Amino acid sequence: MDTLVAQYSCPAIEDTTLDAEQDELLHGPDALSLNFSLPPIAQPSSWLRAMTDDASNPNCPIKIAHGTTTLAFRFKGGIIVCTDSRATQGNWIASQTVKKVIEINNSLLGTMAGGAADCQYWLAYLGMQCRLHELRNKRRITVAAASKILANLVYSYKGMGLSMGTMCAGVTPQEGPALYYVDSDGTRMAGNMFCVGSGQTFAYGVLDAEYRYEMEDEEALELGRRSILAAMHRDAYSGGFINLYHVKEDGWVKHGFSDMNPIFWKTKLEKGEFSNVTADME
Amino acid sequence: MGSPFSMNGGACVAMVGKDCVGIACDLRLGMQALTVSNNFPKIFGINDSVYLGLTGLATDVATVSDLFRFKVNMYRLREERNISPDTFANLVSTSLYERRFGPYFVSPVVAGINQTSGKPFICGFDSIGCIDFAKDFIVSGTASDQLFGMCEGLYEPDLGPDELFETLSQALLSAVDRDALSGWGAHVYIIEKDKVTKRLLKGRQD
Amino acid sequence: MEVLLGITGKDYVIIASSKAAMRGPTVLKATDNKTRNLNKNSVMAYSGESGDTVQFAELIQANVQLYSMRNGVALSPPAVSSFVRSELAKSIRSKRPYNVNLLLGGVDPKTGEPSLHWLDYLGTEAKIPYAAHGYAQYYCLSLLDKHHHPDIDLARGLTILRMCSDELKRRLPIDSKGLYVKIVSKEGIKEHVFEDEGQVLPA
Repeated sequence: MDTLVAQYSCPAIEDTTLDAEQDELLHGPDALSLNFSLPPIAQPSSWLRAMTDDASNPNCPIKIAHGTTTLAFRFKGGIIVCTDSRATQGNWIASQTVKKVIEINNSLLGTMAGGAADCQYWLAYLGMQCRLHELRNKRRITVAAASKILANLVYSYKGMGLSMGTMCAGVTPQEGPALYYVDSDGTRMAGNMFCVGSGQTFAYGVLDAEYRYEMEDEEALELGRRSILAAMHRDAYSGGFINLYHVKEDGWVKHGFSDMNPIFWKTKLEKGEFSNVTADME
Repeated sequence: MGSPFSMNGGACVAMVGKDCVGIACDLRLGMQALTVSNNFPKIFGINDSVYLGLTGLATDVATVSDLFRFKVNMYRLREERNISPDTFANLVSTSLYERRFGPYFVSPVVAGINQTSGKPFICGFDSIGCIDFAKDFIVSGTASDQLFGMCEGLYEPDLGPDELFETLSQALLSAVDRDALSGWGAHVYIIEKDKVTKRLLKGRQD
Repeated sequence: MEVLLGITGKDYVIIASSKAAMRGPTVLKATDNKTRNLNKNSVMAYSGESGDTVQFAELIQANVQLYSMRNGVALSPPAVSSFVRSELAKSIRSKRPYNVNLLLGGVDPKTGEPSLHWLDYLGTEAKIPYAAHGYAQYYCLSLLDKHHHPDIDLARGLTILRMCSDELKRRLPIDSKGLYVKIVSKEGIKEHVFEDEGQVLPA
């Protein structure tokens, strides 16, 4: 009888396993390791910067994929998030099909500009933290909290050569539509409109002129698309495909990953814009 | 700022066909990442059967093209005939070497048909005048690595004018689509013994 | 943070330059005019290193006028541009180059065709329908790509100029104290009072 009782009173799962699981939940899993090995020299950070900064040294041995235009703005109907898709290493176009919008969960989006690997890794990490927050607290993380996790994280690596300019956009019951800018300097701020990357000024030029908070959804989507198109045309390091998202109360909706070229010629020929581009000879 | 050769961007390529030659260039003028103009051709007509392509620093592209327009006009007045492509190549070479210690930052390409022998002629140069004679193709500009790859892959000898146009255009368009500093449209010239066809290619505008 | 802007329309060219004359952190003058009239139908706007700018502009102005006196004809805007370009190209390989960037706007006295030339201190030249120098390029060219059409009338041209000026006020951290505007048409060059409409803030 005692043995029978003992058999059923014992926890089904052994204590040690439970401990390990709780430990993992509390202290983070090993899958995305936060233990980075550093070069065995006196000043790893300055050395890394010297090796990877192709702006100051075009012959730097470690080329990081760069060059971007990303934008996001808040309006009546939610948030528009739009990016290009080009990655460059110096003047070489390494890819025309980069996905610069990272779907953190079905109501939160992140954008990437700067070091492609840095953004991909840390936004994936952020996605994981957001999911853990959900499991622990039984409710969705706010955009404010999510962006703060990211900001604190990158700030802890400040001076080590991380390069990222990102935006977190999402709609939560507590905040409504919220947009945050976070960069590798440690800056984090909320706002209505941000453009990030080498083509940011070109996107601002088009966006500022026609932006109104009271825009309809279709108008807002078109303005986002047109602003990225402007940057792709003028900035050599932006181009490829227009990646367009609309974040609404019930989550984000993707509005295509479309080649800029047919859109450009359609805009030029139908609306007569881009009058500097010659469509006929002499 | 980087090298003077890659401040403004641009690409040029020439190819030999059967009794014809082709030369093509992109149309971008930039200042580093900023595109200033989308209508900056880099091919200059020397006469009806000789064309000069110039890539590199845009100010020198303009200066050097003006210089050769002057020199070739003087040649025509003195000799009362058009300059042949091989003679013009030597003129380019010696003129560039005159600036040996303060070079023009350009990489010229010459393409033409010799009107006396009827033979196609192409050649390229470095910025101080070393001539690179070639039987097949010549590339220059910021997309030259990409152009080498495309030309090695697409080129075949003895193409007719229409096939040459197709090959040349595909090579140029594909190459500039992998170079951030060139593209934004292209000009293609197909030169035959008594006919030149100039075409505008609508390239990607990013 | 000097601003130069140029916009062509159906029969005119607008040339605008920022009114602030800056030295280091100081605004020395808030009513500076960075343009020179070269002849009855062309205007040059300049920016760049202090000293060089005015010296170069006046050198060009004098030579363009000398040419007209000697030959009894006014140079067309493309001819002026070609001359200026060659001077800059000569200068860049000299012992002490002029560090000046230019916009040259004009209307052909015979055909009435407007033209706008963009030149930088290296002697790079481009004929384009709208142009800018300095940081203004990065904000205004995309805006002009969208709103400019070759056949716009003067009112529309000035509206677009206002959009550019607003964008610069909105995004540049330093105020350029308004724009000095000249309009070139077949009738000649006239100054245009471009009222400052106050602060513009980002959305």
